[in-house]
Amino acid sequence: MATADVAVVGAGLAGLTAAIRLAEAGARVHVLAAGHATTHWAPGGIDLGALPDSRTSQEAIDRLAMVPGHPYGVLAAELPAALAWLRAVLAREGFELEGAPGDPLRAIPTAIGATRLAALLPAGMAGALPAWAPDETLVVCGPAGFRDFWPEAIAGALRRPSSWRGQTPPGRIEAVSVELPGLAGRRNLSSLDLARLFDDPAWRRAALEGIARAVAARSRAPGRVALPAILGLNDHPAALAAAREILPLLPFEVALAPPSVPGLRLYAVLRGALRRHGGRLQVGEAVHGTIDAAGRVAELRAPAAAREFVLSAGAVVLATGGIAGGGIVADGPATLREEVLGLPVDGPPAGNWLSDDALSPAGHPLETAGIRTDRHLRPVAPAGSTADGRPIAENVRVAGSLLAGQRYLRERCGDGVALASGVLAARKLAGVAR
Amino acid sequence: MARMTGPTRLPRIVDVLIVGGGATGAGLLRDLARRGLRCLLVEKGDLASGTSGRYHGLLHSGARYIARDPQAARECIAENAILRRIAPATIEETGGLYVATPDDPDDYVDAFADRCDAVNVPCDDEPLAALFRREPALNRQIRRAYRVPDASLEPWQLVEANLRDAADRGSQALPYHQVVGMERNGGFVSSVSIADLRSGTIERVVPRIIVSAAGAWAGRVAALAGIELRMSPGKGTMLVYNQRMTDTVIARCKPPGDGDIMVPVHTVAILGTTDIPVEDPDHYEVTPAEIEDLIYEGEKLFPDLRRMRILRAYAGVRPLYAAAEFARSGELAGGDRAISRAHAVIDHESRDGVANFVSIVGGKLTTYRLMAEQTADVVCAKLGVDQPCTTADEVLPGQGSGRGYYWLGDRLAAHEATGGGDAALICECELVTRPMLEAFLDERMPCSLDDVRRGTRLGMGPCQGAFCTFRAAGVMAARTGGTVAAQAEPVEDELVAFLRERYRGTRPIAWGRQLQELWLSTGIYWGALGLDAFVSPGSEAGDGHG
Ligand SMILES: Cc1cc2nc3c(=O)[nH]c(=O)nc-3n(C[C@H](O)[C@H](O)[C@H](O)COP(=O)(O)OP(=O)(O)OC[C@H]3O[C@@H](n4cnc5c(N)ncnc54)[C@H](O)[C@@H]3O)c2cc1C
Ligand SMILES: Cc1cc2nc3c(=O)[nH]c(=O)nc-3n(C[C@H](O)[C@H](O)[C@H](O)COP(=O)(O)OP(=O)(O)OC[C@H]3O[C@@H](n4cnc5c(N)ncnc54)[C@H](O)[C@@H]3O)c2cc1C
Repeated sequence: MATADVAVVGAGLAGLTAAIRLAEAGARVHVLAAGHATTHWAPGGIDLGALPDSRTSQEAIDRLAMVPGHPYGVLAAELPAALAWLRAVLAREGFELEGAPGDPLRAIPTAIGATRLAALLPAGMAGALPAWAPDETLVVCGPAGFRDFWPEAIAGALRRPSSWRGQTPPGRIEAVSVELPGLAGRRNLSSLDLARLFDDPAWRRAALEGIARAVAARSRAPGRVALPAILGLNDHPAALAAAREILPLLPFEVALAPPSVPGLRLYAVLRGALRRHGGRLQVGEAVHGTIDAAGRVAELRAPAAAREFVLSAGAVVLATGGIAGGGIVADGPATLREEVLGLPVDGPPAGNWLSDDALSPAGHPLETAGIRTDRHLRPVAPAGSTADGRPIAENVRVAGSLLAGQRYLRERCGDGVALASGVLAARKLAGVAR
Repeated sequence: MARMTGPTRLPRIVDVLIVGGGATGAGLLRDLARRGLRCLLVEKGDLASGTSGRYHGLLHSGARYIARDPQAARECIAENAILRRIAPATIEETGGLYVATPDDPDDYVDAFADRCDAVNVPCDDEPLAALFRREPALNRQIRRAYRVPDASLEPWQLVEANLRDAADRGSQALPYHQVVGMERNGGFVSSVSIADLRSGTIERVVPRIIVSAAGAWAGRVAALAGIELRMSPGKGTMLVYNQRMTDTVIARCKPPGDGDIMVPVHTVAILGTTDIPVEDPDHYEVTPAEIEDLIYEGEKLFPDLRRMRILRAYAGVRPLYAAAEFARSGELAGGDRAISRAHAVIDHESRDGVANFVSIVGGKLTTYRLMAEQTADVVCAKLGVDQPCTTADEVLPGQGSGRGYYWLGDRLAAHEATGGGDAALICECELVTRPMLEAFLDERMPCSLDDVRRGTRLGMGPCQGAFCTFRAAGVMAARTGGTVAAQAEPVEDELVAFLRERYRGTRPIAWGRQLQELWLSTGIYWGALGLDAFVSPGSEAGDGHG
């Protein structure tokens, strides 16, 4: 049987943040995750909050903190320190996070030629943050035949003023495709394949020179060039530096559909930080546990193929990511179950889960479903029960998108909640370290 | 709705105007064109977007009708043999197994083979050991099984092949053209108004004969000519599973009911159906109770069914014909399935005194050709044309020489044969490559992403379009240079419309893995890709079908 001071379930931003913070504080931490997390899917920025009519992330955070039941009610105060910590972890590996919660939210172009609101982006994407001047050209440039980035379609959609959410678009938008060295006819490369090619200094120089020629033919300064987010996987800082040096216009990376290269870079940095502090990480374990009579969880079990894996721990951080992450499962059209401990799930009544319109801006009522906690992030008994509001598992803390009351897609607060709750959960459990 | 203008040109004159581009209309266009008539077919949606594109996918052997409707069973097996000859490339030779679960009545099970014999449906006993070896997911309590020549039939290619044969003979089919009015001159329809739904213009057509092959909508089309024709549309719901838990059509040995047939279709398997009368063939919903009912019955065939993943639920409307005589004689007792599924050619000359109007109603996809033949005979008699029907003998275009039935590995084999890895795979689930998509677009532009789905199966596999939709939009934009003029709608709007349409199918079954999948795809399009920038509030398409 394995042992740890703290078992962390889930390897997303929330679980890894909690795990690293605990490991930094000297705890023996063991992360168990059923699979890879949202880091591999999500767009790559750090979303703290954005509402359609909020000017800055900070404004959105402040407003969400006032919404009854929203995790920011407890977590907003944790954010500044949590963000500073994340910047430091990234900086150590040469990654920079640009922008600040108080900066205006900007319309950032995406791979379908829409825009999303963001204020805090990794350096590779941050070139899209400054406001566009009317005499600027945006050149959308992609590898010829790459299936996940279509310059003509992107430029076409971006030419619609409505795509820019009321912000000033660039004066001119151009599209260009470039045949990259040695790839003629190779039409099924993924963003990961291309990113790995950009890790190779010689290849990337040739590729960037080809891109530079094509871009120069289309436009003169002032302007910027949008590239798919493929500028290196393991050696992104160097690939980005080379792109800035060789290209005639300021380059920025555009988030793609999964797999997300920027997300993978973030994951690699976090995993490295955890290992450095002696934390363990095991992906591929779907775990279950039980709350004993004393209101504690003593061990977690993963049914492995050959022999059951058992981890005994002094405390548990549950960061299994809600419905998308797999932490909450609907067994049928009317019942929600929390996967690991069977905690009560707070959500809308059955029959009112989904909105009629797939794309209603308000989202689906079910998006707020999750685990309700007290101020210490301990899960609490369901509303209306006799124990309403009282903690039901003393040594468990809940973090990330598993927390009830948020709508991360509409409020764009998923990363902020994950980060702040990971930091807070770690602080609450700091005592268990030996 | 786009602007409408009055007639501007001289009316187009045709021998026969066919209303409805489903299997029946397409088969009729082919039949009449082969008899030398110049015809025009109009379809208000995309071709085969009505019931023919929303059916269960079964080429009937007739075994389903042996007890209740022996005449229908005879027609099915005869047409089954004909289609295998003239349209092999649209058929997957799955075979069919009628199995007796503990819930099925002994007398029905015992009489099954004799009843098949009586109507010429070939039927063999399938040894249970062989049955379970072949289909291990089946309920082990099944006590008897019969093998019959059921198969899986692809509707879009079938319709397309019929239309191509007609086009080769000078007859045309126009999608997105709706009949909106008819002018009566005594006992005669003198002209028909047709709206081009994409441009908003209205054209007048003067046909010698009008045939309504409008399926469940036949009552409405007849009403335009001032004729009362009572249809009794019956909604049938089906569930699409993410895997082929069977390679054979599996049905139960009992009188037809809900949830008792599983049909393997390409990479998925489809469980069906229900049967519920609906008022309006354009507006109906799939209800949770129906889904529960289907799964409950389906579990009797596949005990693990509840744990398998449903990709989407969809429904079609049966073009059932409520002949007044039928209703009066009280034979409707027993629900919709008691209404004859056999078809009727209605000559409105004798029935309603309208000399040049004919309706073809009811029937099955399996018997579309026979329905077309019988209708064409009536039309030809009216026009004094004395040409025999050739549709049962002549192979449809695009069937390849000796290519035979299609099989699941067809696309992969073709993909590999043409250099394999080089063509960009746009839809990984259904192996739709960029050249395939471009060929479709070149032929069909302007068209919608939903048309692309029907034409290529893009987005119909396990990911239900999560990963390929924006790629297809990209190919579309590259092909048209992104210009709005070349495209029915800007590609961005297409993307929004397509995702909304796919949601209609997932919403009723959104739990378990499928709910997680919905959350992930919403995360991709709304979260990562900012699709909300394209969505104007309240812009939801209110159209009930499609
Ligand atoms: C496609 C997508 C797009 C998104 N876009 C945005 C956006 O634009 N803006 C925004 O603010 N937010 C967005 N989010 C949400 C945001 O990314 C998350 O809220 C945030 O990353 C926090 O994730 P998490 O760590 O709580 O959980 P996750 O990243 O979901 O991780 C959950 C982890 O738990 C593991 N797990 C689950 N069940 C078990 C079990 N039984 N045993 C063991 N391990 C288990 C999983 O394998 C995984 O490792 C998006 C999410 C998705 C999926
Ligand atoms: C749930 C279900 C399962 C089924 N399963 C099977 C099966 O497994 N095997 C089988 O053989 N049969 C099956 N059937 C029956 C079969 O699908 C139908 O009988 C057949 O598809 C009918 O074809 P159709 O061409 O007559 O009608 P449709 O395909 O409905 O064509 C009629 C067309 O007319 C168009 N139209 C209507 N009004 C106008 C207008 N004013 N102007 C222009 N166009 C107009 C409509 O848009 C429509 O496309 C099933 C039916 C249902 C509902």
